[in-house]
Amino acid sequence: MRRRHLSCLILILSAACTRAPRLANDVEVVPAPKLTLDPNDAAWRNAPEHVAKLLLQDLVEPRLMKPSTAEVRVQAISNGTEVAFRLSWLDPTVNDQTGPGRMVDSCAIQLPQVTGKDSPAPQMGEAGRVVEITMWRADWQAYVNGRGDTIRDVYPNAAIDHYPFDAQSLEKGSAAQAEMAKRYAPAAAVENRRVGPRKTPVEDLVANGPGSLSPNPTGSSDGRGSRSKDGWAVVIQRRLPERLSPKVRSQVAFAVWEGSQHEAGARKMRTGWIPLSLKESK
Amino acid sequence: MARVFNWQIGREMSYWYPESRPQKQFAAVFDTNKCIACQTCTLACKTTWTSGKGQEYMLWNNVESKPYGSYPQAWDLKLLDMLNAGEWDGNVYGGQTIFESAPAGERVMGWRPEDQDYSYPNVGEDDCAGQVNHGALMSLPHMQWFFYLARICNHCSNPACLAACPRGSIYKRQEDGIVLVDQSKCRGYQECVRACPYKKVFFNPMTGTSEKCIACYPKIEQGLQPQCFVNCIGKIRMAGFINRPEKAQGDNPVDYLVHIKKIALPLFPQYGLEPNVYYIPPVHVPSSFNRQLFGPGADAAVAAYKNAPKDPDLAALLCLFGCTESIMTHWRRQGDWVSGSDDKGKELVKVPVKEPVIIRPAFDPKQQIVRINCP
Repeated sequence: MRRRHLSCLILILSAACTRAPRLANDVEVVPAPKLTLDPNDAAWRNAPEHVAKLLLQDLVEPRLMKPSTAEVRVQAISNGTEVAFRLSWLDPTVNDQTGPGRMVDSCAIQLPQVTGKDSPAPQMGEAGRVVEITMWRADWQAYVNGRGDTIRDVYPNAAIDHYPFDAQSLEKGSAAQAEMAKRYAPAAAVENRRVGPRKTPVEDLVANGPGSLSPNPTGSSDGRGSRSKDGWAVVIQRRLPERLSPKVRSQVAFAVWEGSQHEAGARKMRTGWIPLSLKESK
Repeated sequence: MARVFNWQIGREMSYWYPESRPQKQFAAVFDTNKCIACQTCTLACKTTWTSGKGQEYMLWNNVESKPYGSYPQAWDLKLLDMLNAGEWDGNVYGGQTIFESAPAGERVMGWRPEDQDYSYPNVGEDDCAGQVNHGALMSLPHMQWFFYLARICNHCSNPACLAACPRGSIYKRQEDGIVLVDQSKCRGYQECVRACPYKKVFFNPMTGTSEKCIACYPKIEQGLQPQCFVNCIGKIRMAGFINRPEKAQGDNPVDYLVHIKKIALPLFPQYGLEPNVYYIPPVHVPSSFNRQLFGPGADAAVAAYKNAPKDPDLAALLCLFGCTESIMTHWRRQGDWVSGSDDKGKELVKVPVKEPVIIRPAFDPKQQIVRINCP
């Protein structure tokens, strides 16, 4: 009899723990004493969730003509200086490796650089009216999680005879060796290496219209993504937009790229602007 | 889309950007009849530019056996199947280019190779067009055919890669028309790989950006021909600059071969890119195949090429292929000699049109020995 009571108590407690968060019409940023990059952290249990329907990017070429990811579920918490967004979406396939014809699963958040009622065009901003974007990619997450930096980490059966920078005359780990390697990696030579070992799986960007995406040198975002049993859950943490307060709202937009559908760049599912509000501490 | 005039298809066509011609246009002539597929060009390029991590599979230059060779796999057949092609009316193309065939939402009609399409760099090597029946190889002319098609980026006048890049990361240099990927701007969307009908843009999985043939522009800037040209054993290649047909100069070697003699033709002109590598078509290949690859001028080009022994100027100019590392912007024949010079008129090379022939007797009476192995 006592054992049955214990079982009932465990069931009640677990039901309370897995209770779905409150659904919100907009993206509500709720105060939290401590932010977390862990998408599975308990801090997310009480954050209201907004279900954002995703639209085809069909305004500028190349467009996405066939819908893929239907919606992204969004939660947001803030400690007063930073804001963390948790995005989750269904995706049965893991695409975390680039290559010829291979695209990666990704997501991004976008905010107007200037908080106010009159936001720029939701499609990457517009001339003179900048948007700030933070992007997460599954391959970057894999590198953060420890993926190696050789061609065999991408193609395990690759056979390589020789690289010039492995010549015996070059001391291993020397500056001369690094310089030689750069000669055959032009993107790395101009500090635009898009894949490879990195400290964070996210990138800060700014844009003032389609095709204008460029690095945001003032950004300091971080993030972490993990697989759930049927999709991705990703936390992106960034600076709280200036002027965003319980009295001044802003806007936020989201995008999701489905690697298995060869989505990259402009070929994406995205939202329009969604109202973003900062809730007061209770 | 804007309207541009494409002289290779004899009409205006749609293109993503308005017409903008460079001050000079890099161009090349490849004589397919002289290529032996030794791949020295391929290795010259490979060792110079693509020996890094992620570049293992890249062949900015390759030589494939036609009809069955292709790299990446079926690069030509896949697009030919997709293209809303049409007939030529004389020199005017009546079908649609890849820009005019672009489906809704696309800038260019293209297809995206998968990584396995790059698994067989020399598939179809030396495979001829059909079955060689017993003993047939012993007779001439051979009943079956194949030929070698050497390929680099065509540095097109209407580049599909450039049109397709949503970020404007690909540009065509004003000074020489060479098409380059800005490695500081590319974000690896692979739209260029998808769009290039010749599949001469490659995605680097270790840097995450796309890379392509750069026509050895550091050499071009010094008046020198690219690595794949100067290392060519068969001397099949000549690099230079091409003018528009209405401004063709007879003393410009590329203009002479392309515009005046019309023996060098673009590869798949029907795609609409106005490619700037021009091929002297193979003389032993069915004309229908040549016409599909090189356009309606293929038969006349073959005839003119075959007539070269009776055409002193053409025969002379063909002798200048592979004779100097420098780019010859001018040429002239003087009797049995032909010379190439640069923009300033400085002579770069001078060669005899007919090599002197010296017949050495089999028996050397002075030394009382037989000089050759097989008397």
